[in-house]
Amino acid sequence: MANRFTLLGLLGFACLAAAATPAEVATLATEVRSLGWVAYSARSPRGDWEIFAMRPDGSDVRNLTNSPETEDFYPLFSRDGRQLLYRSMPRGQTVSGNDYGRQGRLMLARANGTEAKALGGDGEWPWATWSPDGRQVLTLQPKGFAIVELATKQVIRTFPRGGFYQQPAWSPDGTAVVGVSNGFDTGWSIARLELATLRANAVSVADCCTPDWSASGDRVVFSRRRPHGGENGGYGWTELWQAQPDGQGATLVYAEVGRHLYGGHVSPDGRYVLFTGNLREDGDPANQGAPMGLLRMSDTPMIAEHAELRKVYPLAKSGPALILPAGHEPCWTHSPAPGLPR
Amino acid sequence: MKRWGLMVLAVVALGGLGWRWAPGPATPPFPADLGSVEVVAKLVEVPPGAVFQRELYHYATILRYEVVSCRRGGLMPGTLIHVAHYDPWKPRAEAGDARVGALGGTVRSFVAGDRHRLALVSPLDEHYMGGLVDKYFGQHAGVTYWALRTDAE
Repeated sequence: MANRFTLLGLLGFACLAAAATPAEVATLATEVRSLGWVAYSARSPRGDWEIFAMRPDGSDVRNLTNSPETEDFYPLFSRDGRQLLYRSMPRGQTVSGNDYGRQGRLMLARANGTEAKALGGDGEWPWATWSPDGRQVLTLQPKGFAIVELATKQVIRTFPRGGFYQQPAWSPDGTAVVGVSNGFDTGWSIARLELATLRANAVSVADCCTPDWSASGDRVVFSRRRPHGGENGGYGWTELWQAQPDGQGATLVYAEVGRHLYGGHVSPDGRYVLFTGNLREDGDPANQGAPMGLLRMSDTPMIAEHAELRKVYPLAKSGPALILPAGHEPCWTHSPAPGLPR
Repeated sequence: MKRWGLMVLAVVALGGLGWRWAPGPATPPFPADLGSVEVVAKLVEVPPGAVFQRELYHYATILRYEVVSCRRGGLMPGTLIHVAHYDPWKPRAEAGDARVGALGGTVRSFVAGDRHRLALVSPLDEHYMGGLVDKYFGQHAGVTYWALRTDAE
């Protein structure tokens, strides 16, 4: 059943993206092919979740973890591209769309997946996100945030979480965190927390998730469910948006009818954005997942052509979008990644 | 023939009574020391959109109660309190899971005006880390309680 949905999704995505010509899509693929590596989690042919790396055009896919006895997911390259964090749990457990950041053990490896070691026990180091220099991680747990030195595993700072509860991302300059928060509006808001003052502000309120920073730190990209009239079984569709960290200047990045867009991740040079396209609202990690995608930021705001969507966004562009392998939580590095070709 | 008919009717009737009188699953007694607050309170309302069935996501919703009586915790009758209920579309006895631990109670659904006996803890952040639907956002300050047990009163 899941395979059938995945196939339908692929066909739907191909049709939706058809507004761009094959030549435009090919040009985009050529443009990004040599720009580093993208890590993501996906099911292997054996059915277990593994961490993979691919070129940004979807080519040269390689399995970095190759561990059939575990489910490996949620990869994060350090900003210098040298190290990789991911989570790992015994084979057969289901990756949760709500809680993937605190399932299993946190693993630290070289960028090519070798020399992997567990940093703690099951459920420890939840929602770990890299510091800018790759020497610390910030974790999020019920009792609050904690910053941990990787070399010593010493907690060097703790502070209240103030309603933040999932998907934190540490800013490129190290001064702030964005995450999903209960502290603003009725539920599922994106908020920024300044680490010096612990002041928080809303970036986008209500029905938002999976925030991430642009490489320059001047924008936050996130998923946002468009207000709807009950379509798609009452779930509506989730779109990719961006805003300044203070919440100003919110604009659409990309929208489709037929897939929820999650896991937005801006390329290190700020010119492209990766995302996960899903048929189910929770990202469907229990099943096969659906193709990831890539597009140019200069082509946004953009929609996959659809009459109803065009009414909502009459000025949106229709550029090329790459269809990438099925996967979740893509993370891009331009830096030389040890063990991976330049 | 009539006698047989009467006997069958009697057997059916007795069977029906037996079915009605059969004991249901025992409800665990309300623990005397669960949480830090125990109140009987009236559910003031169920705001539109506060309770919905969503298989894909777990969430908690905040509901407003008026305290009727307080057995532990020092709340005065008439006080309005805000209580977070996890996965509120489920019967309370089925709401707990590995994520939030044991929850319980005899309440099967939330109906405005009903009286509930509640065992509560606070602050919410220490007991629950997840999606929250708060239709009272900006309208209440101070403590939000986490419901551990919710019985119909």
